[in-house]
Amino acid sequence: MTVEKTKTRLNIGADPREFQKRPSWTNEDILALLDEEDGTLDPRIYTDEDLYRLEQERVFGRAWILLGHETHVPKPGDFLTTYMGEDPVILVRQKDKSLRVFLNQCPHRGMRICRTDGGNAKSFTCSYHGWAYDLGGNLINVPYESEAFCSDFNKSEWGPTHARVETYKGLVFANWDKNAPTLLEYLSDATYYMDHMLDRTPAGTEVIGGMQKWVIPCNWKFAAEQFCSDMYHAGTVSHLSGIEAGLPEGMELSDTKIPTVGYQFRAKWGGHGTGFYVGEPGMMLAIMGPKVTEYWTDSEAANRAEKHLGSAERARQLMVQHMTVFPTCSFLPGINTVRTWQPRGPHETEIWAFTVVDADAPEEVKEEYRRQTLRTFSAGGVFEQDDGENWVEIQSVLRGHQARKRRFNIQMGKGRSGVGNKDFPGSIGYVYNEEAARGLYRQWIRMMTEPSWETLGP
Amino acid sequence: MIDEKMRAATRQGDISLEALSLQHEVEQFYYREALLLDRHEFNDWFDLLDEDIRYFMPIRTNRTRREQKKLEYTKDNEFAHFDDDLTMMRGRQRKLMSDVGWSENPASRTRHIVGNVLIEEELSASELSVVSSFIVYRNRLERQVDIFAGERLDVLRRAENELGFKIAKRTIHIDQSTILSNNLSLFF
Ligand code: FES
Ligand SMILES: [Fe+2]
Repeated sequence: MTVEKTKTRLNIGADPREFQKRPSWTNEDILALLDEEDGTLDPRIYTDEDLYRLEQERVFGRAWILLGHETHVPKPGDFLTTYMGEDPVILVRQKDKSLRVFLNQCPHRGMRICRTDGGNAKSFTCSYHGWAYDLGGNLINVPYESEAFCSDFNKSEWGPTHARVETYKGLVFANWDKNAPTLLEYLSDATYYMDHMLDRTPAGTEVIGGMQKWVIPCNWKFAAEQFCSDMYHAGTVSHLSGIEAGLPEGMELSDTKIPTVGYQFRAKWGGHGTGFYVGEPGMMLAIMGPKVTEYWTDSEAANRAEKHLGSAERARQLMVQHMTVFPTCSFLPGINTVRTWQPRGPHETEIWAFTVVDADAPEEVKEEYRRQTLRTFSAGGVFEQDDGENWVEIQSVLRGHQARKRRFNIQMGKGRSGVGNKDFPGSIGYVYNEEAARGLYRQWIRMMTEPSWETLGP
Repeated sequence: MIDEKMRAATRQGDISLEALSLQHEVEQFYYREALLLDRHEFNDWFDLLDEDIRYFMPIRTNRTRREQKKLEYTKDNEFAHFDDDLTMMRGRQRKLMSDVGWSENPASRTRHIVGNVLIEEELSASELSVVSSFIVYRNRLERQVDIFAGERLDVLRRAENELGFKIAKRTIHIDQSTILSNNLSLFF
């Protein structure tokens, strides 16, 4: 076997040769995990250690991963440490205002280069032996280089591994794979639906400072799938007490109207999905309160959004939209929580969440977004608490052999979505649906089985 | 009201009877408050929050020593774990008491241990600022265990209730940056 010397900083994502080598999961096995026709899913997708290892390489090594928002790092030298899959990375604003992303690993002996969550730096010095890197991730100083190193030591070859970085309307994504499509191609026809949150005003969005992190002992796919495809849990029983918590005093749960009209979208490529109610603001009121709901549906800003997005329906009528950009970028337009589901083994996920607001929103609206999202969608959030409860229990039940043997039902809306809705482009079905979930798992399976972007690409 | 007593107690090293008895009173308040939470007497606990309560838990972050002072805690206009007024807290109370509040139904078992109680300052004739430390143990369902530790910075206000005080302000500095639990469905 020839081992390529990879001291250079270019990365090729998943190595096509690796696809043939693993005996534990053949392509055939992986393809059988989802049966779109019958509408069944093999729950080992959430538990298997070998699948998890492959996933780190084939999915997280090749997909565009959400790192944060441009305004997390506004000034030159501002940086944020985060992850792409289990790989720690540093996102740094350069002197020329561009962004760089590189592995948070010192190629000398592997130490974590930067051990803080973020801040402003002039350079990064490894705390092990003092190798120093500039903001661009170039190795610029090696202690005792001339006294101690050797003739073929070349500093320019020993910077950390770099990732590609691109942004979509403020959100920053990175990708290890030089052959992957551009971010815009990757987002496919999902951008139309992302714009409901990201492009309501020419001013764009900005982040409310602070990244909230917490740990849920469950596979990341439960969270990604739910934000992609599951309005069903919100419209039935999961979040009833969250709604209760947001009712004006004196109003009962039975007085509230849970919406029934809405749609779900499955991206034509890429595993992205979204769903939303149309018209009925009751649930949004319970989540975000009257001030934000008014801002969203009936204000100067809503008028402007209507012009900017080109439709009243898109700007003011969509309620409680949920969305996932495959694999781990999820957000709720209108509620404006954004998060990356960071995989931590098959049985654990870290949530890294932040909130965005229209950059030109009035201060009191920004403040209300801050208060309401931390009240509802956060570790202590009256909605989010109950999601954690469900996913943890599913994961725990899946310790059982019989439990893992029983395929899950993923039939909802099968064969009922289609192109042709007059208001919403792409493949559209009823709001309670698992079409987008089938899309997400289809993309996962494709990335797990197809070595080349030639077949995989959009 | 016991203004004189409050004044006396906040003087460091003061071992006058007034000071000792106020210290005792404040500690008793915390022990009884903890008991309300741990025995699930939530309605009584929520009644201890005063009208203008700010129940606040900023996010803590890992920073270099140089930037720590400036950046360790998220600020007032940034994201937090909690930043509630009374209306928001009353909403949490409704969720907690609800039959469909899955994250606390069945209920967690908790134990709040409060110590290192220091009366820091007398803010007015009826208000004390008090610092204390806590360890909160939570056990949930079959085998979930969470342990939280941290500091509480309270403003306690004299009140005509059984415990003698209401909480006018509570800032919680939790000793975790990433919250090592699936949720924060409990109170500190
Ligand atoms: S490991 Fe970084 S300098 Fe040695
Ligand atoms: Fe949910």
